[in-house]
Amino acid sequence: MKKLLLILVLLMVAVAVLAACGRNGDEQSDATPSPPPVTGQETQPDQQPPLDLGILGPHNPVTWTMMIVTDNMPPAADNWLMERIREELGVTLIFDIVPGDLQDTRVATMLAAGATLPDIIHVTQLDAHMAAGGTLMRLDPFLESGMFPRLQEHHAPYIGRLSFREGPVEPGLYQMATWNRFYTDDQGGGPIMGPTHGGTGFWLQKSVLEFHGFPNLDNMTLERYFDMIEEYMIANPTIDGMPTIGFTFPMLGRVWGMTNPPQFLAGHPNNGEVLVENGIARIYHTSEYAEYYWRALNDAFHRGLVDPESWTRTQDEYQAALATGRVLGFHDQGWAFGTPRDALIEAGRYERTWIPTMPVMRSGTTPWYADRPVLNVNQGIGIPVTSDNPEHKLLFFETLLQPEWQMLFTWGREGIDYHVDANGNFYRTAEQRRNADEAAWRLSNRVEVLWDAIPKIQGSLPCGNAYTPGNQPSEFYEGLSDYFRFFLTSYGLGTWTQFANDPPSNPPYYPAWQAPIPGGTPAAEAAAQIQDILPRLVPGLISAPPGEFDTRWAAFIAEFEMVNTEALEAQIQSFIDDRIARAR
Amino acid sequence: MLMSIPMLLYVILFAYVPLGGWVMAFQNFRPRFGVGPIRNLIEAEWVGLAHFRTLLDTSGHTGARFIRALTNTVGQSLLTLVVGTISAIVLSLMLHEVRQTGIKRFIQNILYLPHFLSWMIVTVLVSMALALPVSGGIINDVLLALRIIREPIQFLAEPRYFWGIVAGANLWRNLGWNTIIYMASMTAIDPNLYEAASIDGANRYRKMWHITLATIRPTIILLIIMNIGWLLASGFEIQFFLGSGPSIARAENIDIFVLRFGIEQHNFGLATAAGVFRTGVSILLLLAANLVAKLMKQETLF
Amino acid sequence: MESNAVNKKRKNHFNLKRLQAESVIFHTINYLLLIGLCVIMLYPMLNTLALSFNDGLDAVRGGIRLWPRRFTLNNYETLFSVPTVFPAFRISIYRTIVTVITNLVFTSMLAYAISRPEYKLGKPIALIVVITMYFNAGLIPHFILRQSLGLLNTFAVLWFPSMISAFNLIIIRTYMKSLPESLVESAKLDGSGDFGIYVRIIMPLCKPVLATIALFVAVGAWNEWFDAFIYNSARPDLEVLQGVLRQFLAAAMAHAAGGGGGHAAAAAAAAGAPVLATPLTLRAAITIFTALPILLVFPFLQRYIVHGMTLGGVKE
Repeated sequence: MKKLLLILVLLMVAVAVLAACGRNGDEQSDATPSPPPVTGQETQPDQQPPLDLGILGPHNPVTWTMMIVTDNMPPAADNWLMERIREELGVTLIFDIVPGDLQDTRVATMLAAGATLPDIIHVTQLDAHMAAGGTLMRLDPFLESGMFPRLQEHHAPYIGRLSFREGPVEPGLYQMATWNRFYTDDQGGGPIMGPTHGGTGFWLQKSVLEFHGFPNLDNMTLERYFDMIEEYMIANPTIDGMPTIGFTFPMLGRVWGMTNPPQFLAGHPNNGEVLVENGIARIYHTSEYAEYYWRALNDAFHRGLVDPESWTRTQDEYQAALATGRVLGFHDQGWAFGTPRDALIEAGRYERTWIPTMPVMRSGTTPWYADRPVLNVNQGIGIPVTSDNPEHKLLFFETLLQPEWQMLFTWGREGIDYHVDANGNFYRTAEQRRNADEAAWRLSNRVEVLWDAIPKIQGSLPCGNAYTPGNQPSEFYEGLSDYFRFFLTSYGLGTWTQFANDPPSNPPYYPAWQAPIPGGTPAAEAAAQIQDILPRLVPGLISAPPGEFDTRWAAFIAEFEMVNTEALEAQIQSFIDDRIARAR
Repeated sequence: MLMSIPMLLYVILFAYVPLGGWVMAFQNFRPRFGVGPIRNLIEAEWVGLAHFRTLLDTSGHTGARFIRALTNTVGQSLLTLVVGTISAIVLSLMLHEVRQTGIKRFIQNILYLPHFLSWMIVTVLVSMALALPVSGGIINDVLLALRIIREPIQFLAEPRYFWGIVAGANLWRNLGWNTIIYMASMTAIDPNLYEAASIDGANRYRKMWHITLATIRPTIILLIIMNIGWLLASGFEIQFFLGSGPSIARAENIDIFVLRFGIEQHNFGLATAAGVFRTGVSILLLLAANLVAKLMKQETLF
Repeated sequence: MESNAVNKKRKNHFNLKRLQAESVIFHTINYLLLIGLCVIMLYPMLNTLALSFNDGLDAVRGGIRLWPRRFTLNNYETLFSVPTVFPAFRISIYRTIVTVITNLVFTSMLAYAISRPEYKLGKPIALIVVITMYFNAGLIPHFILRQSLGLLNTFAVLWFPSMISAFNLIIIRTYMKSLPESLVESAKLDGSGDFGIYVRIIMPLCKPVLATIALFVAVGAWNEWFDAFIYNSARPDLEVLQGVLRQFLAAAMAHAAGGGGGHAAAAAAAAGAPVLATPLTLRAAITIFTALPILLVFPFLQRYIVHGMTLGGVKE
């Protein structure tokens, strides 16, 4: 009897919450046309029948140890969300947090020494260590049982890609998908891409564009890019008393920051070391695109536009240089320089921040700098074979996949961490936003470590709000300074992402840099060789004295000829073929 | 004396027993869960000396890389050892001449400070110091001001400076710290000896040579012998953070090599083989140095 | 005769004057060089100190030398707001103290044993122990060993495996060998046993070297975090300070990579108040915070190292 009552109460709570969200969602869907359905995503998660919590609940308290590979900190003891999970779902979690760079060591020790496994495991590299080691349970039978409709729905469209097929274990799903499972398909600064471009670009300072009268950025070329920089540099040899830097890139510790551009100039997205044309992978470091790029850089170097310290700066110094606002242009990925951008904003130097441009080598090539977020198949939660009662744990994650719980992780508590306006739009006050940036506040009010690991709804929630405040358009507009508004208006655009291309859908093998390269093979050796040649010789290409470029380029190609690039290409090719075959 | 036996067993337990893991150097070690460590080791595929052959085969890329790493390691270590030892001795002598203990202690405390900065910070500082003058590189500033060079040098872009950079960074960080041992030995010197030497007409430098240096000579020799045993380990952070650029040819040492080829590629067999090789050579060097010291009738390690 | 004495006196007087002049020059140069060296060593520490008190975002722009440009306590506040910092601090202190004590006791005992020339096993033992400095069996075997000994997830794993250090053994042994043999002989004549001699005579005389070794061991134990990470993974209450701080720094860097949306930064610009701690300044604050305890212990140990042997003993 008590149990029935409990279930009834919980049902009522669930319905009430759903109603609060769903009502707004209904209004929303009346006003705007629903987005075109994307292949494979039929039902929205909240159209599932309310959960029968059954074994999950305060009447059945459990304590689970959970190992999570993440750089975030575990929650504080007074964390309200952990408390709520304990109270409403009866689950107490003891976290074992492993920083990303120590993951290999920990996993190796666990396996080799046969140490006790935790109840739940999340790793960011599903490689032979875990699944082939026979450590995790195969989840397909559970998903197919119908007991976990949300989880099943979450994985169904991508089950081919998510399945692990290498090694001696039975092929199947061993990890629950966690990142970039989008339930909606918004574009242009919507909740999928977000308002700020986090991808690659040839960034250009806003002041440079203002200087040139906000020119049209379509059909951008390297020539125009460097010309604009040069003209500005001549007019402004120093900025704030320090010498202006025309162009730079990150290199120490991130060699690809220096060597990636040829792909984009060819109109391809980032596939790592290869260009994939018609499904065939080729290393591009000696291709015409690479030659074009290095020649252009060499030329820019002699015009005084390229900073020679680009290849000797540590990441700290690179960030510092960007933060001084004297860097006019650089090639990098948007997520990597958040701190310098924030530093400039804090100092009120809005015009010194940058927007992405997309030069290509051949006019007419469609740029592909911005890419759609790819379903992450390497990370996720798995249930070790030693774990008892896996259904209980799966029910837990099933419950957390409901929008109401997801919102607790990202937005927080209504009225405390965010507010809802008359139109059902979520918004935050300045203080609420500031809180979210405070590390200490987050330890008590967010459980970032768990959020990193669990399956997530990304894109828009059923009520129409973005799944996280960072991607909420209204939040974005609130925070815009006057200068930013002015800049956006001058270009007639709404968000920064709109400066970059509309990302097309990704081919099934994208990104090819996810291809595993087993150690000790000729492919791995070739990859290591390439990683040795590039930092050694490319700076010499860029800074080659006039007339010497051709000799150095020939030497560069000669070194590459000694590398067994075919082995590496073959390895990546097999990955590509496999993905294409498995795609739906 | 009996009390030493349990301690010996302790050392054997914690240092020698784990050496069983060295079998990995002769295997392709791919661990599986649930079978326990012993079975994992037994079941791994036996490849004999294959890993060692890969390491030393200079015609193959891995081998060539290893030999290059080996050369760099020895070069960096040797330079660090020579520069470091001489400087530490000189500094100890200088400190010993300071009569006021208050000032001496104050200076010593300051000299110890760099040792407490983590390598991360030291790398950042080293990189800043080596930058071009426009970015605040003080080394270039000083060299230009003293007219030793005419144009600023981008130290991190040229491979030939890297060994010196490693030695310099180690020197800056450890110089003060290294004097501790010498200073502690110097406390054993009877001050009356100096008096007696003055009466005999010895000047400052002869006193240094015959008294101070003579007393710490055993310590110096011992430290040199021990450091020669460590010749194949030249650090990690400086090479990792600053040596991944154009100077990689002279920066990549054995530790970085093991990271790239062993750990990152999950090739435990190769990593262990490199470790075994390194140990073997280290011990040979150690015994050789000890022998040389014995032949020169100096203090020996054993 | 008389003229000889006068000549000698004049010569001595002349030499004395020359000695004094030379002494002044020497000491001046000595001091100058030492002070110069101090500046080189001190500057980065002061720079780190300044950074730790500077507003995070402002510091990223560079240019901070000896003084914070925008002073704030925010970095330290952020650090202390991490709830696991103080428990970890306590664990680190305990661990350091226990490691130092056990290390001093056992290493010096063994050192005494092998320093006695009459002890035949002395040399072989020294060899066996010293060689251990030159190899490392690897992480996995060490893990398996501790697992078999039941040391995993205990406090003991932080100090028990490191009670004897080969390097320190040699240092202590060398020092003990330099002590006058007559001390031991006279004690033996008085009827003392080995252990008695060790405790009553040798140990007190070894204060300088023991203080030195204590310093080495303390610094090493204080900074060591990897063993806690690997061996105590199921005991988050046994984390050490450096481990927690390292993790916090990684979290800060991960969060910074997202950029924070710029809201806090914009708010700070509007309010003119420093608000964000960045990894750069956090790292500086962490450095200062973790170096402080050792720096405070320093002067205390220095006393023993410097004064040492001038008390007692028998002059040969």
